[in-house]
Amino acid sequence: MLYFIIRRLLIIIPTALLVVSVTWLLIRLAPGNFYTGEKKLPPAIEENIKKKYGLDKSMGEQYLMMIKNVLSGDFGDSLKYQGQSVNEIIRRHLPYSATIGILAYLLALLIGLTAGILAALKQNSLLDYTSMAIAMLGISIPNFVLGPILVIIFALGLYILPPARWGGISNLVLPVVTLSAIYAAYIARLTRAGMLEVLRSDFIRTARAKGLDEKTVLLRHALRGGIIPVVSFTGPALAHLLAGTVVVEKIFAIPGLGNIFIQSVLNRDEPLILGIVAFLSILIMVFNLLVDISYGFLDPRIRYS
Amino acid sequence: MKRNILCGLVATLLLLTSMSCADSTAGSRYWGKTQPPKENVLRYISGSEPESLDPQIPTGQPEARILMALYDGLVEYHPKTMSPIPAIAESWEISPDGTEFIFYLRKNAKFSNGDPITAKDFVYTFRRGLSPELAAQNAYLAYEIKYAQAYNSREAFVKDKDGNFLLKKDFFEDTKATKPESEKKSSFGPETEFYRFINSPERLTVPLDEKTREAFFKKNPKIKEAVEGKELVPVRAEDIGVEAIDDYTLRLKLALPAPYFLDLLAHQFFRVVNQKTIEKFDKEWTKPENIVTSGAFKLQIHRPYDIIVVVKNPTYWDAENVSLDRIEFYPSEEQNTSMNLYKAGSVDAVYNNTVPAPWIEKIRNFKDEYLDHPAVAIEYYTFNVTKPPMNDIRVRKAFALAVDRFALSKFRKITKPLVDFTPEGIFPRYEAARKKIYSQLLKEYQIPLEEWEKRYFNPAKACQLMREAGYQVRDKENGRCEVLNFPADEVSVTYNTSEGNKAVAEFMQAQWKQNLGITVQLRNMEWKTFLPTRKALDYKGMARAGWVGDYMDPNTFLKLFYGPDNDSSTGWYDPKFDRMLDEANSETDPEKRFELLAKAEFYMLQAQPVIPLQTQATNWMKKPYVKGMYPNPGTLHAWKFVYIERDPAKWDRDVDNIMKESDPIVEEKITRLMQSQIEFEKKKKAGA
Repeated sequence: MLYFIIRRLLIIIPTALLVVSVTWLLIRLAPGNFYTGEKKLPPAIEENIKKKYGLDKSMGEQYLMMIKNVLSGDFGDSLKYQGQSVNEIIRRHLPYSATIGILAYLLALLIGLTAGILAALKQNSLLDYTSMAIAMLGISIPNFVLGPILVIIFALGLYILPPARWGGISNLVLPVVTLSAIYAAYIARLTRAGMLEVLRSDFIRTARAKGLDEKTVLLRHALRGGIIPVVSFTGPALAHLLAGTVVVEKIFAIPGLGNIFIQSVLNRDEPLILGIVAFLSILIMVFNLLVDISYGFLDPRIRYS
Repeated sequence: MKRNILCGLVATLLLLTSMSCADSTAGSRYWGKTQPPKENVLRYISGSEPESLDPQIPTGQPEARILMALYDGLVEYHPKTMSPIPAIAESWEISPDGTEFIFYLRKNAKFSNGDPITAKDFVYTFRRGLSPELAAQNAYLAYEIKYAQAYNSREAFVKDKDGNFLLKKDFFEDTKATKPESEKKSSFGPETEFYRFINSPERLTVPLDEKTREAFFKKNPKIKEAVEGKELVPVRAEDIGVEAIDDYTLRLKLALPAPYFLDLLAHQFFRVVNQKTIEKFDKEWTKPENIVTSGAFKLQIHRPYDIIVVVKNPTYWDAENVSLDRIEFYPSEEQNTSMNLYKAGSVDAVYNNTVPAPWIEKIRNFKDEYLDHPAVAIEYYTFNVTKPPMNDIRVRKAFALAVDRFALSKFRKITKPLVDFTPEGIFPRYEAARKKIYSQLLKEYQIPLEEWEKRYFNPAKACQLMREAGYQVRDKENGRCEVLNFPADEVSVTYNTSEGNKAVAEFMQAQWKQNLGITVQLRNMEWKTFLPTRKALDYKGMARAGWVGDYMDPNTFLKLFYGPDNDSSTGWYDPKFDRMLDEANSETDPEKRFELLAKAEFYMLQAQPVIPLQTQATNWMKKPYVKGMYPNPGTLHAWKFVYIERDPAKWDRDVDNIMKESDPIVEEKITRLMQSQIEFEKKKKAGA
């Protein structure tokens, strides 16, 4: 198990470097520059800017410089927002995304698991159909539709919740609900499918035959196996949620990381793009590792050597 | 059964949304919640997150508005007309030849840390803004100042063995139409050593960087010969035409007469910054804990992408006349989000261009809130005049004439049709002069009046021009035609991605299809890809362009075509146009100057390097209780005039007339501020 974890951790570094390198190359291939403006810059000024940011060196040198920075964990300063370091920007904006992301995921778990389990237990009942229909709606209504609808109803119609911006708890309600909808729906469907499969398996029949009460069968035995699909979904989903979900952040004017990420690309803010990409790729890999580890605890049949 | 439940659900959801869509405010006077905030605060959506709070760095309008709250300059924009009114400069005078300005600063102006603001601070600010190390994109705004451009682009004077400097006039005789400096009789203000230097004939400058210099020499072999073997002396910050005569007197020297330069000085680039703070904290100086500002408000909170809070600055020289205690700027670019916040009453005003096009029809009914006024901004299409078929002036003219501009304005709802290159309805005095000049020029160019009047849309003439250009043309009804052998593959419209730009491009495409039978391709590009493409003339046929005036003078538009390496992105250059512009700007009589500028504009448009399309309009909203905030041509708000009115009887009504109506509270403030300059001029007259 330990060997497995160490091996996986070691793979993360070269993978992240590869991701960053490809990103770097793509930025360099894209036309335009962080100082591209409507007015032509005097050639001397352009030279000056290039010198200031090391753009006058050869591509190879620049690449090595970039890799050196990445390895040291210091991405330097943002090119667009003067005087702000990339690490500072990520540190500052991550908490916003993380707050709504984690809350949305918890809400999604609560709704999804409950709905999924109930649907599986009462398969083909009205309850099953209703919850799965809602789940289907949740999956198929994109959040850029759901968000504005919620705003129209609760912020502009009833005036009971703020329509956007960061602030108190009331500001969190709409973005968290909007964000959680699709995840709750997925989780409900995954739980239902997982539970249905597990409930039909032999060890559940054995457990029941042993005379265990239904609650124990369900929570101790069936659920552990039933939520494995949910767990594998959690890894990438959490990373995605933490990294910010651009659309929801835009609709609700939340200063999260997703917003910054998009802006950094539009601004050709190379250090910031690389910083966020590196951060996200590592985050995704770490979450995937955590998911893989948790399998071992959930399902006794899965063992790592 | 499954289907029934689904249907029921969908129906419920639809019902819910439709219920809430039914506008709860229909029939009411105001849009959404309309209640003044409890505190004396303005909550304002300010657009994109500012690049920096250093006034000399950002170039955008959203930043300009925030920086106007934080920093004060020599002059401030008049809240309605944007003409300069006294700020830190109590009064000023301009030399008769229009190249020298003396500003008399008030003695009670202070930075937010209590340091007095003196002429030396302005000298520092101007030099810093132009320093090549800062590499400010706005530096070009100050290029009128003598040797500013040379310093900013790292150039050098040329000194011969005897210690004499080579002079510009020996190499460029005909371009700059200034009178020989020796003719001047008396000095303007005290004659200091610097004054003698800066008023001596303009020295020649050459690029310091070897590569750039070689390129420069290639174009000017005569200069190369003259420079060889001589010493290059770099132009320093101390050489630019900015001088502190004493602590409270500032003198500027321009390279050429630039009557519009005073209008420019309210721009954030020229607003005063604190040297000590900048030197102490370097690039971290704009952080809330370090920043020192000079304006009516000072920074309290800055949480990027979330909020910027500025509070009334007690050390400000005019603090007692600042009405608001606090302004909260919310950086958001999402139009719908901004509108939602406005409707919910969470903000009191939104920045310009926030009302989405499909909403305008409905929003404009809120007469007390929606501000649709002419803006000092235009939209046009550039031609790539370096490539066929657009290198043919007749083809360019045909394309320009085949677009119905009235229909375009109607389609865009708030813009006005434009055929000239300066916005319509912004410079009334210039327009009057232009009208006069144009009627003269029509005779000169033998253009029939009837044809001239139809230049907003004239398909028949467009077809005729295509025929003259050698294309096969088949006539159709209503003066339209079909050009048969036009190389349509060589022509496209390139625009930067946006809903509005796309709508206009499709409209134009339809017009050319309908009127000339030519189908042009549309290509959209993301902004940072688009800019270098357009600049390098890597586009076929046409590209979309817009320009917002930097100051309130036609020159800010015409200047785009000035110089061989100009910013028009068309490839068009004509030295005669440069001479016309130079001649106009050295004219000190404003009326005559406008006439000369109009001539230059006419001359340039005869070559049709662009298709002017529309004068933009302001497109924003404010709650009726926000007063002293006007839709001036740049939507730049001098915040010290803004106040919250709690008495609904005094709220703004029918804001279409807001520019004509007078608000005694604001008028009183302006009159008081103007007093010092008026008195100064009176005294001067009496003295003379």
